[in-house]
Amino acid sequence: MKKFNLKDILIPTVSLFLICAVATALLGLTNSVTEKKIQEVAAQSAAEARLRVCENAENFDEKTDKNGNTYFEAKDKNGETVGFAITTEDKSYGGKIEVMTGFSADGKITGVEILTIDDTPGLGMNAKKESFRNEYLGKTGALTVSKSASADNEIQALTGATITSNAVTRCVNTATEICENALGGENNG
Amino acid sequence: MKIALSLLLTAILTNNFILCKFLGICPFLGVSKKLNTAVGMSAAVIFVMVLATAVTYPINLLLKANSLEYLQTIVFILVIAALVQLVEIVLKKYMVSLYNALGIYLPLITTNCAVLGVVLLNIDNGYNFWQSIVYSLGGGIGFMVAMVMFAGVRERLEGCDIPKALQGLPITLVAASIVSMSFLGFAGLVDNMFA
Amino acid sequence: MAEKKSIGKEFTKGLVAENPVFRLVLGTCPTLAVSTSVSSAIGMGIAATAVLVCSNIVISALRKVIPQKVRIPAYIVIIASFVTIIQLLVEAFVPALDSALGVYLPLIVVNCIILGRAEAFASKNSVLASAVDGLGMGIGFTAALFLMSTVREILGSGTFLSGIKDLLAVFSGDIQFNGFTIPFLNENPLTIFVLAPGGFFVFGIMIALSNKLAERNGKPKAELNGCASCPMASSCALIADGKKCEEADAK
Repeated sequence: MKKFNLKDILIPTVSLFLICAVATALLGLTNSVTEKKIQEVAAQSAAEARLRVCENAENFDEKTDKNGNTYFEAKDKNGETVGFAITTEDKSYGGKIEVMTGFSADGKITGVEILTIDDTPGLGMNAKKESFRNEYLGKTGALTVSKSASADNEIQALTGATITSNAVTRCVNTATEICENALGGENNG
Repeated sequence: MKIALSLLLTAILTNNFILCKFLGICPFLGVSKKLNTAVGMSAAVIFVMVLATAVTYPINLLLKANSLEYLQTIVFILVIAALVQLVEIVLKKYMVSLYNALGIYLPLITTNCAVLGVVLLNIDNGYNFWQSIVYSLGGGIGFMVAMVMFAGVRERLEGCDIPKALQGLPITLVAASIVSMSFLGFAGLVDNMFA
Repeated sequence: MAEKKSIGKEFTKGLVAENPVFRLVLGTCPTLAVSTSVSSAIGMGIAATAVLVCSNIVISALRKVIPQKVRIPAYIVIIASFVTIIQLLVEAFVPALDSALGVYLPLIVVNCIILGRAEAFASKNSVLASAVDGLGMGIGFTAALFLMSTVREILGSGTFLSGIKDLLAVFSGDIQFNGFTIPFLNENPLTIFVLAPGGFFVFGIMIALSNKLAERNGKPKAELNGCASCPMASSCALIADGKKCEEADAK
């Protein structure tokens, strides 16, 4: 057995501890500076996405329906409801996918934005392209994905990315349900 | 059960860590020359990946509870480094035969991005504890599948007549490209099986 | 040996002669993973360069204070802190880059270029030389990523510099330039090039070309010597037969 030397253990331990302490302090400092900014950026990009899916809207009211889903009601400058912006998420090829869907006041889809996506570039990532997102415009009710969209409620799948196309469509369908609930609730009340 | 199986197959085939996510390329190119080293290295990776996931999951909950998520990277890499050292010491002392099989690969694993990668991906994907474990296990097995397959490919490359500029690393990468292309064929498999 | 080299040489060696990606074959994971688009490649290059310069400076400044025994954990802590700082800054000021790089941004921690330079260079050289070495290596890394991603993006997506607007937004939000579209290729992209196999293939061809160039200049070709270039090599029994990290680096 080697002789146990206290100094051999103490000096490395103390110096490593000091380095860790300084590093953590620096990180805490950076975090306190950037934390607010990161939240601002996230809030701002969500607000921008809402404006893109509901073009005529001036401002949005955050609401929660009876099932606990959050949605945004779009108002024009006279305070009239002109549509809804609803964010939904589902599981896709590369992990979580988050989609914001915009609806007009009569429940037609006015815009689809992909907020979070982690997918194969060139295949699934094409879901972000306008040509795919525009397929949803003006549609109502439950949608399905097919290789060649012929019927009204069909969306043409992205080449080589059926899973992603399905995931986006599931998100939109969930949003449609939330929107229909919101519309129904208003008609009753 | 269905979820677990689909997660496992996703990590092994459709989202293979090496061939589709580019995690752990260094050992893939460096230690895949011989079959037995490839197996030893991957066994050590599977072991450390699952262990690291089991240890970091509660730590992440602790960080989250104190809204210290920004410390994730630094805490996880240190935990993995310490874990690898600890495993090495324990194996050396109590499980000599296992140490002889895996021990020499352990120090290499600290800086293997597949290990830190799987820990971070588990959190990004929002898996619960058991899902994380299954995903790590799948990631590790996928690592092994790719390593073993590729070791076979490389052994066949040994005696081939290759243009001079392509000899060595370049032809290895081109071979990796073809192996990776074959894995593209698995895309969609898992979702169609469990749809 | 290294002390005698001029500062200029420390800088330029990382660009071509000792290019970390094409000559030393380090940092292959991010090279393959983020080279699908030029703008994310540039973003990754800049982020890694920033971490590399900062960590090289700090490690070099502390090289006489850090005990030999715990130097690797100490380096890892220092590198991980800078990575987190960069990660927070990117999240706050270039959110588009954060979502483009995803998990590969925190994975800069285990990028062997950074730990490799810390162990092979910064722990033995002056602060100035280490900073310049880090800058040169970082720019060499960025240049390699740029080359790889140019080929892959043009062939695989039919665009060039697509999404650069989000990067330039750091300087000014008014820039409308958002890359070029390549006619014909944009309508008929060779998608395989942005997929994983294309990454391996383009990287292989690049290494072959750089070997060809090196051969013409009478330099040895790039080769991954088992794991001799791995920063953990010195503590690894696999190559305990004398082939140490330092030897691989001492040219």
